[in-house]
Formats: sequence, structure tokens, C-alpha cells
Amino acid sequence: MKKRKFMALALSCVMVCSLAACGSKDTGTSQPAPEPAPAPAPAEKTDDGAESDSSADSQTPTDTAADASQAADITLWTYPVGNWGDSETVNSMISNFNAVYPDIHVTVEYLDYTNGDDQINTAIEGKQAPDLVLEGPERLVANWGAKGLMVDLGDLWTDEAKSLIYDSVQSACKSNDGVFYEYPLCMTAHTMAVNRDIFEAAGALQYLDETTGTWTTENFQKAVQAVYDYGQQNVGAVYCSGQGGDQGTRALINNLYGGTFTNAEHTEYTANSEENIKALELLKSMDGINFDASIAGGDEVNMFCNGTFAMAFCWNATQEKNNADQGNINFDVLPMAFPTESGEPQLCGGIWGFGIFDNGDPAKIAAAKTFIDFMANDEKQAVESVKASNFWPVKDLGNIYDGDALMSEYAKFIPYMGDYYQVVGGWAEARTAWWNMLQQVGSGTDVKTAVEEFVTTANAAASAQ
Amino acid sequence: MSKNNSMSKALVRRETIAGYAFMLPSLIFFLGFVIYPMVQCVFTSFFDATMNREDIFVGFANYIELFQDKVFLGALKNTVIIVVVSVPVTCIFSLWVSSVIYDLAGPACSAFRCIFYLPVVTGSVAVAVVWKWMFNNYYGIFNYIGTNTGLIEKNINWLGDERFALGCIILILLTTSVGQPIVLYVSALNNVDQSLVEAAEVDGATKFQCFWKIKWPQIMPTTLYILVITTINSFQCFALIQLLTSGGPNHSTDTIMYYIYYNAFKLYRYGYGNAMGVVLAIIIAVLSAVQFKMAESK
Amino acid sequence: MYMKQNQFNRAACYKMISVIIIAILAFAFAFPLYWIIIGSFKTSAAINATTPQWWPQEWVLDNYRKLFSRQVAELWEINIPFTGISLKGPEVPAAIRWLLNTVFMSVAAMLLTCATSAMAGYALAKKRFIGRTLVFSLIVCAMALPKQVILIPLLREMASLELYNTIWAVIFPIVGWPFGVFLMKQFSEGIPGEMMEAAKIDGANEWKTFYTIALPLIKPGIGALAIFTFINSWNDYFMQLIMLTSTKNLTISLGIAKLQAENATDFGLIMAGASLAAIPIIVIFLIFQKYFTKGITMGAVKG
Repeated sequence: MKKRKFMALALSCVMVCSLAACGSKDTGTSQPAPEPAPAPAPAEKTDDGAESDSSADSQTPTDTAADASQAADITLWTYPVGNWGDSETVNSMISNFNAVYPDIHVTVEYLDYTNGDDQINTAIEGKQAPDLVLEGPERLVANWGAKGLMVDLGDLWTDEAKSLIYDSVQSACKSNDGVFYEYPLCMTAHTMAVNRDIFEAAGALQYLDETTGTWTTENFQKAVQAVYDYGQQNVGAVYCSGQGGDQGTRALINNLYGGTFTNAEHTEYTANSEENIKALELLKSMDGINFDASIAGGDEVNMFCNGTFAMAFCWNATQEKNNADQGNINFDVLPMAFPTESGEPQLCGGIWGFGIFDNGDPAKIAAAKTFIDFMANDEKQAVESVKASNFWPVKDLGNIYDGDALMSEYAKFIPYMGDYYQVVGGWAEARTAWWNMLQQVGSGTDVKTAVEEFVTTANAAASAQ
Repeated sequence: MSKNNSMSKALVRRETIAGYAFMLPSLIFFLGFVIYPMVQCVFTSFFDATMNREDIFVGFANYIELFQDKVFLGALKNTVIIVVVSVPVTCIFSLWVSSVIYDLAGPACSAFRCIFYLPVVTGSVAVAVVWKWMFNNYYGIFNYIGTNTGLIEKNINWLGDERFALGCIILILLTTSVGQPIVLYVSALNNVDQSLVEAAEVDGATKFQCFWKIKWPQIMPTTLYILVITTINSFQCFALIQLLTSGGPNHSTDTIMYYIYYNAFKLYRYGYGNAMGVVLAIIIAVLSAVQFKMAESK
Repeated sequence: MYMKQNQFNRAACYKMISVIIIAILAFAFAFPLYWIIIGSFKTSAAINATTPQWWPQEWVLDNYRKLFSRQVAELWEINIPFTGISLKGPEVPAAIRWLLNTVFMSVAAMLLTCATSAMAGYALAKKRFIGRTLVFSLIVCAMALPKQVILIPLLREMASLELYNTIWAVIFPIVGWPFGVFLMKQFSEGIPGEMMEAAKIDGANEWKTFYTIALPLIKPGIGALAIFTFINSWNDYFMQLIMLTSTKNLTISLGIAKLQAENATDFGLIMAGASLAAIPIIVIFLIFQKYFTKGITMGAVKG
């Protein structure tokens, strides 16, 4: 009898538990309940006399927003784009949004650059792709957009939007056949950085120009050698355990002798050019620079901050701001452009914005568009959204970082922004092939053989699309 | 067995109905979540399947490509290395440890048993992250101990160096797989018929002879069982690879398991990944069939 | 006599040296666990020191504070089907929710596995039904199959069943794994036929025969299987990685793995997470240690 009771108990346990878990699949971390809207939507835009354009381009979705049918639950997945990866900041921006649109519930998941892509890819296959995702054109346009998973954002790209947003950004946000899959929010130029204290002690500061933030390839070599001789065994690392932060290694290799990553039309990979091979051979031969297959960009940043490395190749304004805020840096950071022979660095740009996965629900898509419109176009919110990323706006919002010394220092790198080649076909595969190539070079494979293999793989992926 | 012959048709029917009634709950899960996906796996392996596109039938193209894919062949080689190294080492090591500790005083024996079992219960993720730290090029204790004792000249990037990475993975795998065999061997050795051992000792057999002639045959079934479970475990080594090396450097730690994952979620090649799964399943099926035959013949 | 003495000494000597070596090895085996726990209380300076601190000079809780302040989730969430009502628990650090998810997953997998396997194993051993050999060979073949082989079809299947990103997507494949059935079959072979005959003569139906005669006899086997399944599900990682995405649906292993993807070199924080994942299961192991070793051994002897 006792056993029967136990079995019954166990069974009912399972039943109750199954009830418990049945529903817990649909959403992410819930946001605090939105406060009731203090004012109707248009009231938020009272002070837009200065720039009538922006109110005009936010008009269309706002009108539909007033409709009660717009109530929807949407999910937003963000990569750590500055503080867009920090739940506190994002929650406060979402409560701004809910103050205007109380019926749209946004739940947020935070991705990382190591596994984020795998996570979205499994979610797509699991039919639970997020509605909104915050990332750059290389994923939104060249990867998921090209695979037909994204919603055409043409109606957000009104003529006004087109006239305001910088042309280079605009062309990056649309696919080869002219469909917009991203609505951009912010951008930056990825730089590198050196540990000024160590460089000073090693007498290596003479090799770089602190005011312009540039140096020549020859001086870069001398500086690294000086720091190495000074006793810093690990000056810098060509990190290659995965794709995280690979913009740094790409920019470093391309800049050293003026190579390019793709051709100008973004149809073919050109990493096997003589300039790139020469650059890789140089890096391989330098004392103090290791090809480290056990770390990725994020690790390199941490290890630069804790003094293990004297240089970081994966760097930008946000890295310095976040790490300084968290008290991780106790030395003087000197941001630098990548070394070149010509003196004209071509920095790798980052453009971040929103894309919408086509989950087949028009209400959710409309709600997601409203969200984008609010975050990127609302007069007040746009500034806050961009500031949250610690990057620069993609259109003229005035000097939003007025009085911010750090951001002013980094602003000098924006003019060095190079070609945004990340929209080339087969990008996801090419990135994977890239770190595999670096690992090969690091473990002694002939540079030419390794880059040829990389280019073959990458071009095959590009033409398959 | 004479009863079987006289079993009436009605009885057979009754037994069948009852049999399947008892089997039903388990069969639902087994067929639904093991057999059905397996059938699907075989089926899709003949297609070029990718994200958000109709699958295209390609016949044996995936399989043909598979055996020309250097990375796959490398992964196959690594998988074989892991199994071939870790299975015998686990068995021999755990047999040696057990043969030493099984007749120690009770608490000592169970303390040892418990400690060797700890890495098993700690869990693969926790184990992986702590070893990642210990193997770290810059702050790892292996480099600290190595350089301070003069065993190594300068810091070695254990997990980032083609020459060492696979070895490191196998080492970690070993620490997490000897726990169970030790428990098994200790109890098997305790169950050895003592009278036979004593008789042999009276006859002047050395300890060593005693072990090989008397004990070894008696613990043979345990050994076979350990072989089977260790082989399965070694094939399933995924978390370590994914968390520690992602198959790198230069594909030196790619295993088929990881390469399937890599193809599915980094390259979006589902059909190709499935073809690998089929090949692996065949290899494992053959291996376990052999092991079961061995077990049966004993 | 002299020979014998000498031999005895050599054996004792061998034994002593072996015990010493094994003791050292045991220390090495316990070390990673020690390092996890110690590491979680170290300052970041101590963590990144090139000369390791074998014993922390300063004990801090920063890592745990960081771990618990990262993300929040409701402690539980019970959705009542068809009503749209959802009961939510208080907001707690996400790591606590992960622990709860893991406990739920392991317990549910354990109960379901034991219940289904005990019945199926009994049928396979004691019922002479048509197709029995076929079913049994299928089970034996599938037992060694690594789950990774079927990951893509399984993911698609879970998606179409709308189970993707629920804990059930992890539980069901564990329950489907036929090792339990195999084990229970081996145990059930030992049920004496006469006892079942006797029960039948007494008028017991099939179900009653099972739970009054068979169940008590295979109880030790069920215990072994329960422990096995619990530990295996707790430490399973692969299925969780594929099937779960939302922060609140993660398990503790997966949570730690994500933690380390985000902060690969913040070893203090990662060790805090690892401690949280490892300590509960180790405590359970130490409490049930005796049953554990017994269970493992029985599984092997019968298997």
C-alpha cells in the first residue's frame, strides 16, 4: 500500500511540475510592469520644432501605435553593444518606451559575442527567433537578411531618414539588391590601444604620434621591440580562439602594408594579397607578439586591462569607458590607430542597429517597428540610446558628448573609418575561416598556404549565397 | 522451456498485450526522442539542408564530400585517439588503484573511492572552467609549477598549442572518467572468491601470480562492463572541447561530436552534419556490437 | 622461509609506495574542486597573480555579489493551461532560478525514467511478447549512441512540438535514453517465476503482479537508476546548450558556461558560478555516498 501511495505521489508530483514548466517557454526575463502612459504619444514630441524632419519620419509608425490593436509582446535580443548589454540601462530605456507605448511589452535577452550567434541560429531552427535584434549589418544584412529571415525595413527608411543618415552607413544597411534589413543606431571606428605607462618606461613613446594617434609600420616594429626588450614578454597577442573581436586582427593585418579584406565591390575576398601575406609574416616574426589560440578579443581586452599585455588590438571608446568605470584600469590608456606605411589608417567600422526577424506575426512586426522608431528617431530618446552604446550617432544629433573628454579623444579616429566590407557574402563562414587561418599561421603553417585556403573557403561561401 | 510449446494462442496474445502495455510509456519516449530523430537523421543526410530553405535532394553527395573533408577526417582521427588512449588508460589506472586500496581499512578505502569519484559529480562545465584556468598561459598553475620546478623552460600555452591541446583534453577526460571504474573494481575485487586465493597462496603462488591467475578471470565481466561505459563516455566528450578549445588550435582538438555541432550552427550545413552523425552512429554500433559479443561469449 | 620473507617484504613495500602515490594522486584529483571553491573567494588581484595564492590572503564575497547582481528572474513561474493565468514568484538573482530549474529538471527526469524503465524492463524480462527481441536489440543498439548524433533532427522536432526552450526539451531525450530500460531488464530477470505464478493463481491481474511481486524485488535497482539519472541530468550539458535559450530557462551548467563566454578571464566570477553548480550535487553525493557506490556496483553486476 505504501508503495502505491509513493507512486501516486511521485506521479502527481510530475503532473504538478509539468504544469509549472509548461508555460515557461515563451519569454525572456520580464520587465517591470510598465507605468501607465502619462501623456499621449504625440506629446512626447513637443520640442521638435528645431528639426521637423525627424518628427515627420517618426510619424507613420506612431499613428498606428495609437491603435489599441498594437498591444504585443515582443522580444529583443541584444549583443553587448556598449551598455545595451547591461540590463539596468536597457530597462530604463524600455520604461521610457513604455511610458509612451504602454501596450507593447518588451522582454530582453542578453547575448555574448562568443556564443550569441550559435544561440540565435539554434533559436531560428527552434522557431523561437527573437522579434528584434540589436547588431550590425554583417549579421542582420549579410547573414540573416541574405537568408531571407529578416523583415524589409523599407517603411522606416523614409526619404527623411535617408537624407539624415550618413551615406556610408546607409549603404551598409541594405543588401546587394537594395533591401534595408537594418535600421542603424550608432557607429564607431575600432582602434587599438597601448599601455602608455609601459611604453613610456620602455622609451617607446618616441615611435608614435600621440596627437594624431597614428604610427608607421616601421615604428610599430621598433616600439614593440623596445617594449619587449624592456622586459614585457607579452607585448600583444594575435588572438584567435574564436571570432570574438576579429575586427581587430583584420584591421591590424590589413593596415600594416595597406592590404584589403575584400575587393571594392564586396564580392570577393582578397586576404591573400601580397600586402596581407607580408603583414602576417611580419607579425609571426615579431618578438613579443604571439598568435594565441587560447584567447579571443574579449580575453585580450581583459588581459590588456590587467597589464598582461601592453597593447590591445580589440579596442574602442566603449572598452575604455566600461573598463575604467569598473575600475579595471590602473594605467594610462593611449588609443591608437593601426600602424600603416602610408600614414592613412583604414579603421574597421562598426555600425549597430536594429533588425526584425520575420516571425510571421504582423502585430509583432508593427510593434517592433514602433520600438525601433522610438529608440532611434525620438528626439530625446535617440540621444539616450546612442549614449547608452558609448558610440557615435549615425546622423547629426549635435554634439551629444559635449564635455566628455574620453569621447572627444576618440572622436579623432572617426575620419579614419575605412570601407565597411563586412556585408560581403558568406561573411559568417568567412569569419570562422579567418580565425582558423590565424591558428594555422600560429602553429607554423606556411602563411601563403594558410591564406590561400582561407580565401578559397570564404569565396566558396560567398558564391554559394 | 517445454511450457513455451504448449503456450496457447490466447496466452501469447495476452502476454503481448500486457507486454506492450508495460512497455508503452517507455516506448513513447524511446521511439519519439531517440528512434524518430535517428530516422530523420538518416533521411536528411541525403539532402542539402540549410536554414530557411527547402531541402534539396543530393543523394550520396554529403557522404562523398565527408570522406574528402580533411577536417572531418582529422576529427575522426582525434576521436579515435581520444578513445584509444583514454579507454585503456582508464581501465589500467583504475584497476591499479583499486587493487591497492580495496583491502585497506574501510574508511581509508571509501575515502579514496570518494575522492576519485569527485570529478565525476562536479560536473563537466565546472570541471572545464577550472581546468581552463589552471591551463591558462598567463596565470595558470601548471605554468607556475612547471617553470618553478624547471620542468618547462618558459610558459606553455597548453590549450592554445597544437602539440598539447589534445593531450590536455584527454588528461581532463581521464580525471572525470576513472571514478566509476574504481568503485566497480573495488567491489569486484572484494567479491573474489577468497578460498581460491588462499588455496593458491598455500601452493606458493606469488601475489602477482595470484592476481593474474585467480582474480583477473573473476573480475573479467567487470572489466568488460567498464570497457563499454568508458568507450561511450569517451565518444561523448563534447563539453570539454566546446568550452576549452572550440576544436582549435588548427582543428587539433576537433572531434566528430564537436564538428557536427560546428557544421550545424556555425556553417548551417544540417544535411552534412547529419551525414556525419550517421557515420558516427555506424562506427559506434559496430563497436558496441563487438563489445557485447565479447561480453556474451564470456 | 627466507624467500617467503623477502617476498612478503617486497609486497609490503610495493603496497606502501603505491598507497603513497595514490594518496598524492588523490590530492591532485581533489585539487580542481578545492581550486574552484578557493578561487571564488579570491580578490581579482589574487586571481590574476602569476604566483598563485594557495590559500587566499584575503577572503572576499565580491565574486558572489557580482554573480547574484548580474541578472534577475522570477523564482518560479506556473502557467495554468487554458486560463492564461500565470503565477510568478518573487524576483531573485537568475543564478538561483537556474539552480531551481536544474533541480526540477533532474528530479523530473529521474522520476519519469524510473517509472517508465521499471515497467518496460519488467515487461522485457518477464513477458514473452511478439517483437520482444526486436525491441530489445533496438534498445541495445541505441544505448551507445551519443546524443550529438541526432541533435539537428531533435532540435527540429522539439521546435515543431513547441517544446523548444522549455525544460521538457531536455528532460524527454533523457527519459528516452534506453539505458534505464536495459538496466531494469537485467534486474527483473532475477524475479523468480514461481512467485509470479503464485500471484496469478491468487487471482492477481498483470498490474497487481507487477507492483506487489516485481516492484519490491527490483527496488534496489530502481534506487541505483534514480541516482544515476539524477547525476547524469544534473551534469548533462549538451542537450541544454541546444534546447534552452531564455535566461530564466537556463540550468546552472548552462548558466556557468554562458558566464564564461561573456567574461572568459574573470576567473573569480566563473569560479563562484562553478561553486554554485558543483556544491549542491557534491553535498547530495556525500550524503548518499553509500547508496551511490552500491547502486553503481549493482548496475554493473547485473548489467
